[in-house]
Amino acid sequence: MDDGVSPLVEMIGISKSYGGVRACRDIDFTVRAGEVHALLGENGAGKSTLMRVLSGDVADHDGHIVVAGRPVRFTAPVDAQRAGIAMIHQELDLVPGLSVAENIFLGRELRTRVGAVDRRRTNALTRDLLTRCGIALDPRRPVGELRTGEQQLVAIAKALSLDAKVLIMDEPTSALSSAEVEQTFTVIAELRRAGAGIVYISHRMDEIGRIADRATVLRNGAVVAGFDAGELTAGNAAETVAEAMVGRPVQAMFRTRAVEPGEEVLRVTDLVLRPRRERPGRREPDGISVTVRRGEIVGIGGLLGSGRTEFLETLFGAGTRGTLGGTIELRGRRVAPRSPRQALALGMALVPEDRRVAGLAIDHSVLANTVLSIVDRIAAAGVVPRARETGAVRRIVAELKVKLNSVEDAVGTLSGGNQQKVVFGRMLLTEPALLLLDEPTRGVDVGAKAEIYALLGRAAEQGIGVLLASSELAELVGVCDRVVVLSSGRSVRELDTRHAGEADLLAASMGEGSTAQAVDSGLDSGVDMAVAADLGGEA
Amino acid sequence: MTDTDTRPESPPPGGTGRRTDVVAALFRFQSLFGLVAVFVVAVVFSPHHNGEILFLGSDNLFNVVRAVSEIGIMAVGMTFVILVGGIDLSVGAVLGLAAVGSAVLMVEDDFGVFAAVAIVLAIGLGFGFLQGIATALFGIQAFIVTLAGMQIARGLARIWSGGQGVAIAYGDGPDEAPVAFSLLGERTFNGLVPIPALIFAVVAVVAIVFLRSSAFARHVYAIGGNEKAARLSGVPVTRVKVIVFCVAGFLAALAGIVHAGQLNQGSPNDGFGYELDAIAAVVIGGTSLMGGRGSVTGTVAGALLLGVLNNFLGLHGVDPNVQLLVKGLVIVVAAGLQRLRPAA
Repeated sequence: MDDGVSPLVEMIGISKSYGGVRACRDIDFTVRAGEVHALLGENGAGKSTLMRVLSGDVADHDGHIVVAGRPVRFTAPVDAQRAGIAMIHQELDLVPGLSVAENIFLGRELRTRVGAVDRRRTNALTRDLLTRCGIALDPRRPVGELRTGEQQLVAIAKALSLDAKVLIMDEPTSALSSAEVEQTFTVIAELRRAGAGIVYISHRMDEIGRIADRATVLRNGAVVAGFDAGELTAGNAAETVAEAMVGRPVQAMFRTRAVEPGEEVLRVTDLVLRPRRERPGRREPDGISVTVRRGEIVGIGGLLGSGRTEFLETLFGAGTRGTLGGTIELRGRRVAPRSPRQALALGMALVPEDRRVAGLAIDHSVLANTVLSIVDRIAAAGVVPRARETGAVRRIVAELKVKLNSVEDAVGTLSGGNQQKVVFGRMLLTEPALLLLDEPTRGVDVGAKAEIYALLGRAAEQGIGVLLASSELAELVGVCDRVVVLSSGRSVRELDTRHAGEADLLAASMGEGSTAQAVDSGLDSGVDMAVAADLGGEA
Repeated sequence: MTDTDTRPESPPPGGTGRRTDVVAALFRFQSLFGLVAVFVVAVVFSPHHNGEILFLGSDNLFNVVRAVSEIGIMAVGMTFVILVGGIDLSVGAVLGLAAVGSAVLMVEDDFGVFAAVAIVLAIGLGFGFLQGIATALFGIQAFIVTLAGMQIARGLARIWSGGQGVAIAYGDGPDEAPVAFSLLGERTFNGLVPIPALIFAVVAVVAIVFLRSSAFARHVYAIGGNEKAARLSGVPVTRVKVIVFCVAGFLAALAGIVHAGQLNQGSPNDGFGYELDAIAAVVIGGTSLMGGRGSVTGTVAGALLLGVLNNFLGLHGVDPNVQLLVKGLVIVVAAGLQRLRPAA
């Protein structure tokens, strides 16, 4: 594949240790002009560390970096930026209150002759830049008003305006709707044509197959496999790549349904929320009916913005304040939780969407985080008996196989999957009758994903009713007994997953009769690689 | 995916090496080390009199504690508020209001000690309650609410006292306070331990034990650590925040009573700027202004450190204006050390 032109970036023999742990071991990695190079691996495989080395964020590493044939040594991100390497972070570095143009020129504002900011020229130059990238956005719009996908495009444009030749994108599509994913792919294609090199980190095999020219797989800090475009689009690509990542054949991830559903735990009839004050960007329930029985896992599907999260939050008393219409019956009793505290007392539990934002106090201990929901239940006269609390936490942590040294460790030192298990553990300790889950496997790797599915299965076997909201079709079809599809805050269809597949689910989400087209446009069909591998194995 | 890639799946046994352990321990007891350091400096450079180290005289040492007791009591309440990620700028003014209240109720309105104290404490509690409601229920920032509260409490104190300091004379006659109240200016245990120091000690110990072992304390820390997560975990966030402001108001009023007892008067200008000293004690004590981490032990050490510093500078007859400079520098250094603290 080497065409004699020196690559944009060459990393040679990169090693980096944290304490006694070697995050990167002797890694070689190159980025050529005009290619998309996918970087794959489970959480903890060393992807982030390697990219932090490349973007100048980690300075004390072993090995060499050569940019355009010249050896370089980055001591700070600004060095890497000067060398034309830019990282688009997952948490985008944009100021919400400033306009698109102001963000792009932040720190190097254009001035008029009298020293004022030259808005007209800033906007004009930004408009040119956006047009060149194929991004249709008004430079004057405040970034805070943009959707996540649009913000990401702004971040890309900003990097390009800094003359970036190499762009590192860390899971750029994880929070995007299908239309936004398409837009991002278009821009990436444009950049590739213009000769930029792109490092693309993702968990989604379907995306890799579509846009990557090659892929490198890391495991335990070392390169274990490389694939070229042909291999990535082959029929069994997902399976091969997943095996390289995990280091063993990928077993079936999804549960086999072992339990017969019991009596009804939850019955929601025509749930409507009339908010006291409209909150922009939210799709409140507008006619949702769902039932969940003991031991049953019921999925909540639907497109981004169909109101999945808002529905779960409303059930849990954590949604927008307002008037409820319709009924919620929990174990035969009519309820209307006005706060999460009430909901928990009634026997509901919620694992929220974003564990860092809504799940964990990240620098507090595993113990404090796990026991939080039951401290006042186990307290005697207001005092928490230490033995009882550590006992409870140790038990649940062992049961969920959370990897840690001590329950006193800060939860932020755990890997993403283990952090998620801590949130799970906290909720299971409350011994809920109904477990609500919002995107429980987002941002966790293949291995942890399988463990979380197993955990869900066990919860169901114990007689808990589970309501699972997800944007991954394969997850819904693979894990749930039934899936209720939401559209614009209404439940529009219910599918039995014994008979219905991903395509049916997709069609129901889009409205009937447009399956082929929907698949074509890559609609949120986030077929995860292990998931795909699993399905392949069954076929 | 998050940035967890760089983190080991399970940290190597025995922490990350002995050196970082030592550093971590140092930071854990940062305020205590600061206190010890300042203490040692004070001993070494203390003025001598008849061969005795003046600073170490028991009278002097207890004077230090007495001098910091009012700030210390307030700082304990402030610690609670800051732990939930809030701030209370009103405590100095509430102290003034409480001092005025104590004097007026006993001297002009002929209330007994217990009645007067109970009323004043209830006022402080109620004041904190209203501020808590304003910030926790209506979502106005604590800084703004308590900035307004500071003005209001000061205004109330001026109106109640008629703008004048109210002197407290003791006796049984009208316009005299019950003698029992003068206890606050005295010492106990063979005339050694000043009563205000004793009150401070009791408040501190109760708060320390409470924060270590109560379910309520878990809620306090959780709210400071991640309010949204705390709410979704069933923590009654609004209630806890309101209670925390009640505690701060209550303790500010208690400090005001002590203040009136020590100075035998209640002036509407009492406690001016005390809120900043209380915040300083909390910060020097290692409590994060972002909330979620910190301890009353640290706050006590922080208050004592400020007290030792004041006392030491005072013994040397350092110009009070220069004392302010030194105090300011100490606060900045303490806050600077926070930034070096290794992430837990």
